[in-house]
Amino acid sequence: MASADGGAYSYSLTVFSPSGKLVQIEHALAAVAQGTTSLGIKASNGIVIATEKKTSSILIDDSVIDKVAVICPNIGIVYSGMGPDFRVLITKARKSAQAYWKIYGEYPPTRVLTQEIATVMQKATQSGGVRPYGVSLLVAGWDSHRGPTLYQVDPSGSYWAWKASAIGKNMLNAKTFLEKRYNDDISLEDAIHTALLTLKEGFEGQMTEKTIEIGVVTVPTEAELEEGKIGGETGRVRPTFRKLSEEEVRDYLAL
Amino acid sequence: MSIMEYNGGSVVAMVGKDCVAIASDLRLGNQALGISSNFQKIFPITDRIYLGLPGLATDVTTLRERFRFRVNMYTIKEEREIEPETFAHLVSSTLYEHRFGPYFVEPVMAGLSKTPSGGVKPFIAATDLIGCLNFAKDFVVAGTASSKLYGVAEGLWEPDLEAEDLFETISQTLLNAVDRDAYSGWGCIVHVITKDKVVTRTLKGRMD
Amino acid sequence: MTQRPQQHSFNPYTENGGTILAIAGADFSVIAGDTRQSEGYSIQTRYAPKVFRLTDKAVLAVNGFAADGNMFVKKVRQRLEWYRHAHSKDMPIRAIARLIQTMLYARRFFPYYVYNILGGIEEDGTGAVYSFDPVGSYEREACRAAGAAQSLMQPFLDNQIYFKNQTPAPGTSFPQHLPLNTVLSLVIDSFTGATERHIEVGDSLEMYVVLARESPSIQALQNIVGIQERTSTADGERIFVIRRDLKKD
Repeated sequence: MASADGGAYSYSLTVFSPSGKLVQIEHALAAVAQGTTSLGIKASNGIVIATEKKTSSILIDDSVIDKVAVICPNIGIVYSGMGPDFRVLITKARKSAQAYWKIYGEYPPTRVLTQEIATVMQKATQSGGVRPYGVSLLVAGWDSHRGPTLYQVDPSGSYWAWKASAIGKNMLNAKTFLEKRYNDDISLEDAIHTALLTLKEGFEGQMTEKTIEIGVVTVPTEAELEEGKIGGETGRVRPTFRKLSEEEVRDYLAL
Repeated sequence: MSIMEYNGGSVVAMVGKDCVAIASDLRLGNQALGISSNFQKIFPITDRIYLGLPGLATDVTTLRERFRFRVNMYTIKEEREIEPETFAHLVSSTLYEHRFGPYFVEPVMAGLSKTPSGGVKPFIAATDLIGCLNFAKDFVVAGTASSKLYGVAEGLWEPDLEAEDLFETISQTLLNAVDRDAYSGWGCIVHVITKDKVVTRTLKGRMD
Repeated sequence: MTQRPQQHSFNPYTENGGTILAIAGADFSVIAGDTRQSEGYSIQTRYAPKVFRLTDKAVLAVNGFAADGNMFVKKVRQRLEWYRHAHSKDMPIRAIARLIQTMLYARRFFPYYVYNILGGIEEDGTGAVYSFDPVGSYEREACRAAGAAQSLMQPFLDNQIYFKNQTPAPGTSFPQHLPLNTVLSLVIDSFTGATERHIEVGDSLEMYVVLARESPSIQALQNIVGIQERTSTADGERIFVIRRDLKKD
């Protein structure tokens, strides 16, 4: 069991304790639990991922902090836990998505990219000289095979698909709240409001467009699908994941 | 002499109405000398995708295994069958990996891709030996008889051929082209891919 | 710097692209060629005829090195004129064919870099096509393509003229010769196909039609737009020329 000082098995190397636990991973989960709350909800016509963006000082310019990251046009990720670890994972995920594109001429399905990230995180639990990543992730994306999907990845490298989930501080309360609120027919608009309501439960301070970040997956219409993956005007892949602008977040908060 | 002429062989693929066809000769030669009249150079990739690999025979065999491996890995990892467009990119990137020491093949592929509304769309493509993709809307050709295939196909092919007519068109195109090519011939095989089945026929033609 | 002797060589030949094609019918012959003349990737002119009327019953198409081709036609015409002066008649096509062989072989060791196809009407009134290699090997055939797009056209013609790889319906047989309108369509299709895929073929198409004396095939020429007659004497074989645009890109 993890004691306050880390105990006898708290080396930088991840080793089994006699009880069969990897204490380093439990410590990583503890780091996640200290992180700000993030959540994701799968709706009937899309997915929302949201997080609170808290800064330790009013002097920090929060406009350049990104907690919701775009990986490729169809996938976005939000995290709870350690910011620097997240940044490294984002870089790896983006490279992985581009490498996939170079081989197959299309971006990876959400499940494949999630597996890829999970593999990276698992490696950190079994390699020498490294520590596990101190983050949990919510990966939201759309692909033609599985449609909109929401995954959670933990420091151990395990991942699950969720209809709705929460990570970080207050995750248990948030999950209980989501369980009460969730139904399979929820629309994306309702899901965004539910997400904000859930965040509000454990929120310290004022919820504003500066302290909230939202990303959404929208399911392409039949007509858009028929037109193909490439957008008409830009000649680029039409995005299905995007971050909401501050104006949009403000509008949702006002309602 | 071109490396394509070391073993010889040709492949052609054509688009029809809700169907595609791919055909090749069966010759394996050692320059002017005929070795085999049953050398397959078209391989099924999935139930709905066929890949033709005319070129250096050793590379044909190697690449067939390479693509089998890569497609199997894709199928397991992604838990789905690869689509023709995606496979074409896989072929392209696999060949480009060897940009400065290439496999001497000119792949041709034919398949039916799924549309979002649940129908099928004919797909053909070809690449050069380093993977430059050519997505043609009508027909693609490759191999030692390519210029002959272009000439005949340009004269015989028309849009929206039904499966049976497409079979006749591709068969006549191939037979007459390889008859004028010393490095191709010695028997022909044709696959016609439609929504619910693939019809494979071997053709009776000149064996000289 | 040390001075070293440098060797220079002069290449007297050029390849000027283009394609020619001739098909013989029962009582007519069609001799066609595109009019593009190129050197490498440059087009020298979009109208340089490769098909020439020799007599009222013979047309010669030349392809390869244009300068040699033009000079060769000039020399053949000169020999035909001498023949006319000596014999008071046009040389029969089989004799022209033999003459061309002799003239080509005379230059066996500095050949005219030209593929010749001779088309016209035989003395017995049948349509004829003779094809030559640059040093005079020749053969009478029913159809022949030569030049840049030979490899594109010949297998198509094998299929459509000789019905190669086709089986007649039970109790029927394929015709030995095709009607004139069919032949003209095949010639146009062959050239549009070759123009599509070969950079050295295009601009425009010139088709000479030689009809035997009182040939009923004249019917097929009745409604052809822009057809011109090139016959010089009455009551003999008749020669027509038909021009069509090809793509210029």
